[in-house]
Amino acid sequence: MWWMVFLVFGLVLAACTPPAPTSAPGGESAAPAQATGGEEKVLRVWITWGDNPAQLQSLFNQYGEANNVRVEVNSPVEDDKVIAALSGTEPPDVLVTGGPDSVGTWARENLVTPLDDFLEGGEVDLADIFEAPLSQCLYQGKYYCLPWGTDTYALFWNKDLFEEAGLDPEQPPQTLEELAEFARKLTKVDDNGQITQVGFIPDFSWSHLGLYTVMMGGYWYSEDGTQLQLTSEPVINALKWEQQFYCDYNVDEVLRFSSSFGGYASPDNGFYAGKIAMQVEGEWQPGPNFIQKYKPELYYGVAPLPPPAAHPERAGTNLVSGTVAMIPSGVKDKEAAWKLMAWMMSPEIVAEEMVANFNLPSSKKAAEDPRFRENEKFVVFLELMGNPNARAPILTPINAEVETELGQIEEQVLHTCADPEPLLQAAQEKLQPLLDKALGN
Amino acid sequence: MALTNTPRVHPGRSPKRWSPRTRRQLWTGLAFISLWICGFFLFNLYPMLASLYYSFTEYHIKQPLVWIGSLNYVNLVRDPLFWRSLYNTGYMVVIGVPLSLIVSFICALLLNIKIPGQSIYRVIYFLPSIVPVVASTLLWLWILNPNSGLLNTLLAEVGIRGPNWTRDPFWAKPSLILLGLWGVGNTIIIYLAGLQDIPQTLMEAAELDGASWWQRLWKITIPLVSPITLFNLIIGVIATFQYFAQAYVLSAGISPVGSGLGAPLNSTLFYSVYLYQQGFVYLKMGYASAQAWILFVIILICTVLLLRSSEHWTYYEGG
Repeated sequence: MWWMVFLVFGLVLAACTPPAPTSAPGGESAAPAQATGGEEKVLRVWITWGDNPAQLQSLFNQYGEANNVRVEVNSPVEDDKVIAALSGTEPPDVLVTGGPDSVGTWARENLVTPLDDFLEGGEVDLADIFEAPLSQCLYQGKYYCLPWGTDTYALFWNKDLFEEAGLDPEQPPQTLEELAEFARKLTKVDDNGQITQVGFIPDFSWSHLGLYTVMMGGYWYSEDGTQLQLTSEPVINALKWEQQFYCDYNVDEVLRFSSSFGGYASPDNGFYAGKIAMQVEGEWQPGPNFIQKYKPELYYGVAPLPPPAAHPERAGTNLVSGTVAMIPSGVKDKEAAWKLMAWMMSPEIVAEEMVANFNLPSSKKAAEDPRFRENEKFVVFLELMGNPNARAPILTPINAEVETELGQIEEQVLHTCADPEPLLQAAQEKLQPLLDKALGN
Repeated sequence: MALTNTPRVHPGRSPKRWSPRTRRQLWTGLAFISLWICGFFLFNLYPMLASLYYSFTEYHIKQPLVWIGSLNYVNLVRDPLFWRSLYNTGYMVVIGVPLSLIVSFICALLLNIKIPGQSIYRVIYFLPSIVPVVASTLLWLWILNPNSGLLNTLLAEVGIRGPNWTRDPFWAKPSLILLGLWGVGNTIIIYLAGLQDIPQTLMEAAELDGASWWQRLWKITIPLVSPITLFNLIIGVIATFQYFAQAYVLSAGISPVGSGLGAPLNSTLFYSVYLYQQGFVYLKMGYASAQAWILFVIILICTVLLLRSSEHWTYYEGG
């Protein structure tokens, strides 16, 4: 019977090896080895994004040289490694992630350090941080992260295509309704019913349901993050507004057309290639790594997403999110980690890093750096972030579950023209108990 | 033979009768593989048993464990997405695995024909297997592009409007099966080895008796490679039950940001993908452990059934 035993073991191994996702090898860079003798203090920084690890390393080398430590930057780090590191005993001293989505879950699981005690020391001036990005780090009354670079979204339109369709190229749509009307004029269908140009695809390049929902006047959580409001008017209206761009045309045709676009960062990106006339995109687009690189001659404009006609007071509404820094709870020398983090958050360093990467600075002082005003399109985003109507997603411990569920509902509503209300109702009934449980109510 | 003076009595039955020499050899052997044994206990057996324990708990990495009995299993049975992921995986096993066996067997037959350039063809058919799965999946995303992709362009040549492969919930799994068929090089190699093991004399004898190519294929080739088929089948079934990387990359390819696992419309939410989501996205390690154990039991049952059934359809020379 030995073969059976081996078979069993073999199968157990086969079944229980956690399926590590194979993803493209990321360029991991370590600091240049310094051949100094003695006990050298090493601080490790992990960043989950970064096209330019060398630039990040040289930025942190400034801190290393000034403080006689070695700072090792690892960028980009895959999300799965982050989970493993947070739960292990040797996490990085400072972790920077592309968004606060998981911070609520990590805070609940005691994987990241609350920063309030450190903040009392005054090294970081909270008043200097823009309100909306800062609020995304607040979980149950405590700060678990600090925003470093920030992202927000606006409407991009292709002026050439506007002219071609008989629209004023300098005049973006003024209301959400007008946006839909423009989109209709900007969509071209050939004799076989195939779409050859499309005015607007609401979930291109990815879902902006959060932005549309705040524009409709609400969010899917109550302000204190204890109640889900999935069946509220703003969520339903946002989905219905999105739906028309698929279901008034032909879902299959729109999907075929949009899935034939090339890569996001490539000249074949649907917007760069002039196949899509309007899109919602982030502040990095006008920068050197995107439109300037792939389609420098693109004739386009940027404006805030317009409000619904009935609510002009919502002009300038936007959803702010983006890079946040935190200290894992397993870090041994938290003082040293905090010192490094406070340095990272200083206006000069924020300015330097965000100018290099064309991201919005989280610091108000940094935002005064004249280099941020050099590109008029970037200024649109800078002003959106400071707009009183700017808001941030609310942190809860079940963000990931809620976002997955909403993503699936959005897909069903847009791609099968389903009625959003029963789907939202079912999700509300499924997720509210999860939220109650996670919050310990 | 490792044990030179094998005792008359079966060693497993009464170890006390082992000669000192046998015993010494046993200890030497064990010493040589002791590192492996340590590794096995530490990194395989222990985590496995731990996961069995976790599957009866609510476990969120750093929080204390809460024993909840069979609740994870009960919740799984009630979870529609669990059944969905099981269906999706079953689809790949039932349709994808036999298809890949047939295709690789046919390819092996072709590659076994003695023609000039035979080795070059073998290299060409094997090449896709050494391309990293991420790269080949991305390549296939391009081939399957509904408007400008290679496949639909070819279909358009013959007047067929190809489907929207990866974005259509009906076609997403067939797309992945197609992708899998492209990389069957390993299976082809194993079949080739089996084909070359078939005694030429049998073939010649059959030919002299007037057996056609078709009869030789059915009466000689297929029965003689049936143990190879069994091996490939079991390996294929086990691998497909754990199908992950391609689906993960496909989802990422459909939506540039965010996980989008299971897109479109959960048609590619495979068992391991769902397990990954529960464990590593939602941090529900207990729930994910229960999923892993159910998968283990399913794979065990399938393998045993295949082995049992194989007694009726495999043929071992001299066996």
